[in-house]
Amino acid sequence: MALLTRLYDRFVDAMALIAASMLLWLMVSVITSVLMRNAGIQPFAWLFTSAEYAILYMTMLGAPWLVRKKGHVHIELVTAVLPATLRRLLSRAVAAACVVVCLILTWKGIDLVATNLERNDFDVRAYFYPRWLLTIAFPISFGLMAIEFSRFTFGRDLLHSGEAGIHE
Amino acid sequence: EETITAVHAFPETLIYTQSFLSFVDMVNEAGEGVIQIDVLGGPEAIGMFQQPDAVRDGVVDMVYTPGSFYGGALPEKDALVASNLTAIETRENGGIDLINEIHQEKMGLYYLGWFDSGVTYNLWSVNEPSVDEDGNLVIDDIRLRGNAVYNAFFTDYLEAQVIDLPTGDVYSALERGTVDATGWTQIGLIDLRWNEFLNWRIEPNFFSTDLGVIVNLEKWNSLSQEAQTILQDVAIEHERMSVEALRAKRDEDFAALEEGGMQVFSLEGDARAAYLEAARSTTWNRMRTLMEESPQGADNYDRLIELFYDPAMD
Amino acid sequence: MEWYEALALLLGAIVALMALGMPIALAFLAANIIGAWIFMGGERGVALLLNNGLGALTKFALMPIPLFLLMGEVFFHTGLGKRMFNAIDQLLGKLPGRLSYVTVLGGTGFSTLSGSSMGSTALLGSLMVPEMSARGYKKKMSIGPILGTGGLAIIIPPSALAVLLATLAQIDVGALLIAGVVPGLILAGLYIIAIFVMTRMDPSAAPAYEVPRLSVGAKLALVMTDVVPMVGLMVVIVTLMIIGFATPSEAAAFGALGAILLSVVFRCFTWEAMKKSIHGALRVTLMAYLIVFGSATFSQILAFSGASRGLIGWATGFDLDPLVMLLVMFGVLLTLGMFMEQISIMLLTVPIFFPLAISLGFEPIWFALIMLLALEISFTTPPFGLLLFVMKGVAPPDTTMRDIYVAAIPFIACSLLLVGLLIAFPNLALWLPSLG
Ligand code: NA
Ligand code: NA
Repeated sequence: MALLTRLYDRFVDAMALIAASMLLWLMVSVITSVLMRNAGIQPFAWLFTSAEYAILYMTMLGAPWLVRKKGHVHIELVTAVLPATLRRLLSRAVAAACVVVCLILTWKGIDLVATNLERNDFDVRAYFYPRWLLTIAFPISFGLMAIEFSRFTFGRDLLHSGEAGIHE
Repeated sequence: EETITAVHAFPETLIYTQSFLSFVDMVNEAGEGVIQIDVLGGPEAIGMFQQPDAVRDGVVDMVYTPGSFYGGALPEKDALVASNLTAIETRENGGIDLINEIHQEKMGLYYLGWFDSGVTYNLWSVNEPSVDEDGNLVIDDIRLRGNAVYNAFFTDYLEAQVIDLPTGDVYSALERGTVDATGWTQIGLIDLRWNEFLNWRIEPNFFSTDLGVIVNLEKWNSLSQEAQTILQDVAIEHERMSVEALRAKRDEDFAALEEGGMQVFSLEGDARAAYLEAARSTTWNRMRTLMEESPQGADNYDRLIELFYDPAMD
Repeated sequence: MEWYEALALLLGAIVALMALGMPIALAFLAANIIGAWIFMGGERGVALLLNNGLGALTKFALMPIPLFLLMGEVFFHTGLGKRMFNAIDQLLGKLPGRLSYVTVLGGTGFSTLSGSSMGSTALLGSLMVPEMSARGYKKKMSIGPILGTGGLAIIIPPSALAVLLATLAQIDVGALLIAGVVPGLILAGLYIIAIFVMTRMDPSAAPAYEVPRLSVGAKLALVMTDVVPMVGLMVVIVTLMIIGFATPSEAAAFGALGAILLSVVFRCFTWEAMKKSIHGALRVTLMAYLIVFGSATFSQILAFSGASRGLIGWATGFDLDPLVMLLVMFGVLLTLGMFMEQISIMLLTVPIFFPLAISLGFEPIWFALIMLLALEISFTTPPFGLLLFVMKGVAPPDTTMRDIYVAAIPFIACSLLLVGLLIAFPNLALWLPSLG
């Protein structure tokens, strides 16, 4: 079990690493494309398109890691005024609600990927790019986010600190 | 009384949307007590490129959108893009019926009508265009803005350095010189104020707009016979009226542009023919390739071209 | 369902979930699921929600945010920023609140050209706030001016949002851009006055610490070594935009690369600093973009359900004095602005507001400028203005919600004062375009 947890954690880290490389790719692709254009060379259209796709992949693949880091900003108002026991209860309930949200989106995300495959959908920009290669990011991301939020539902650590303010 | 919901791809103030809204008014008048269209909004209600999926899934019943926004699912829309006819002739010769059949088969959509047809595209340029010794357009020094509709033509034939930009960014790109030429429909340039920078319209014009009304097929089939008849009749009426209205609008726009100093640069003779031929054939090639890849195959290809292209018109 | 019921349900859900402590992005998504289920016909509405998210998150326009963040983080983690601010400190001598003024001036110069208020908030926040905190500035002196400069970015040309508004409303783009110049400069002036008053009322907010007196030669040397290169990078980016070498969205990439190259030249590049910079930029980007996903879709459901159109129709349906109607429209924009993104608000309100404004006898250019100000103010209005969250992401960890809200208020007040001035003296906006 401990090994499995460790493997899973490394997997989420690896996705965050991919997200980080997407961020760098944004810089590299834009600079290359602008330099080519100004040098009078036709810039590869995939430089532009891949940058647009990178934004989606970056956001979705990095999101579960950010849940673990408590990096998704939230406001503490009610949790700040409740007594400790109730606060813990509420905090776990909020995390559980997040799990539900993520599970619904995972489920519909899988549906969407299936539909895209069945309909042979393409995302049409400079190229015809299979849509499911984009939408697959949703079930993966929300599925892992559900797991990460469930750690705050059942685990030792809580999502909320009990101090009033915006937290991340 | 039955009601169907509708959204439109472009902002409400755009001329094409106004055309659709006048169609809606006509239906709501003719359909009193039978059928009403409830317009929920434009891209602020459902994203521009998500509308075709939304009508397929039945989230909304009717969408007014360019076929190019769902060209991945229906490459046959390029028959409309490369057409030199309007909805008036293609309604008569059965072209629109064929397009409707293909929509039903491939997407579960009823193709109610091809609106605002007959509006074509031009290349518009900041600087005076130049031609080589054969009279062909010299594209080397032009920074051309592209988009999904005409990239095949611009890059494959003109070998242009296309810069893909969203419509909203073109004004500042022209202002700063990031691009100095763009394709656009014959009308609408003034609404976008691009004429502040563009000085030349390059002829001949090419392509056609491919805006149409698509309806969820299940919803369509659930409507009463009477409601269907009203919708279809009004749509055919609007197909004709919109051609005439937009032709008038085009003449008005061209006059206003000329008044403001817009000049016309025409390709002549063989160069002109080659230009038109390239616009069409690059687009047809794209259509055929994509049709061949789809499970339904390219059986309709020749028939589509026959119905949507009349060589005598060039 | 009536529009007010839909509005109450959707806004109620999101406010309640946020207040209970659900992460903002998740609260948006939860409200979206509820809304999609009710208004878009159950399950298939949720699939559309994901499709909308796909559309919202594959836009090139989002590009500047991570790249400007990266630029700011590189400045901070390599110590380049510290060098520059130490130098500015020594150059400006004892002027209290000098870095706040620098923020307004530098921020104005920069954000006027960037035109993306999220991007410039990200850059200035990650660049200035940590440095100013380290020098003992209170949060209100660093965060406030940065939130304020977003308002300048949107009205001083060039401004992408102004172009879009003019296009939608079919008014003269050039006139609207020029109309923003004088009000923009007035707003910058109001900010400077606000900072001056704040340093007078609370001298400890921006400590007037002693700095060594320098000879003119030493000052000049300092300018050449520590100020010119860093400010030069900003100048280079701005120049790239002006000469059309790169679009504003693209220029951010050169900013990030430039910061990295500068750190190499100044021998303060380390892999550790790079790692920290990417890490920092990634965290804030991910946080902000998941909110963009949620809020863009939320805007659409508000529109689709008829809630926002109903609100607009109701609010504009009264037959009131023109000035009151103007305030009503302003109020609607602020309300929508707390929950929706700016472009959706324009798409929704322009077709209704402009004909109404014209029937009330308002000058369209002047009205468009007021509308832009309302949109930008709503972007920084507590409790849900999106820039507040971006700021929270880039500010030091001990920054509280209160800090950010308190910091925003004086600068929002300046913007409101400007709106008041524009109402009293429409020629502030209309004089310059009338010359051309
Ligand atoms: Na600006
Ligand atoms: Na807002």
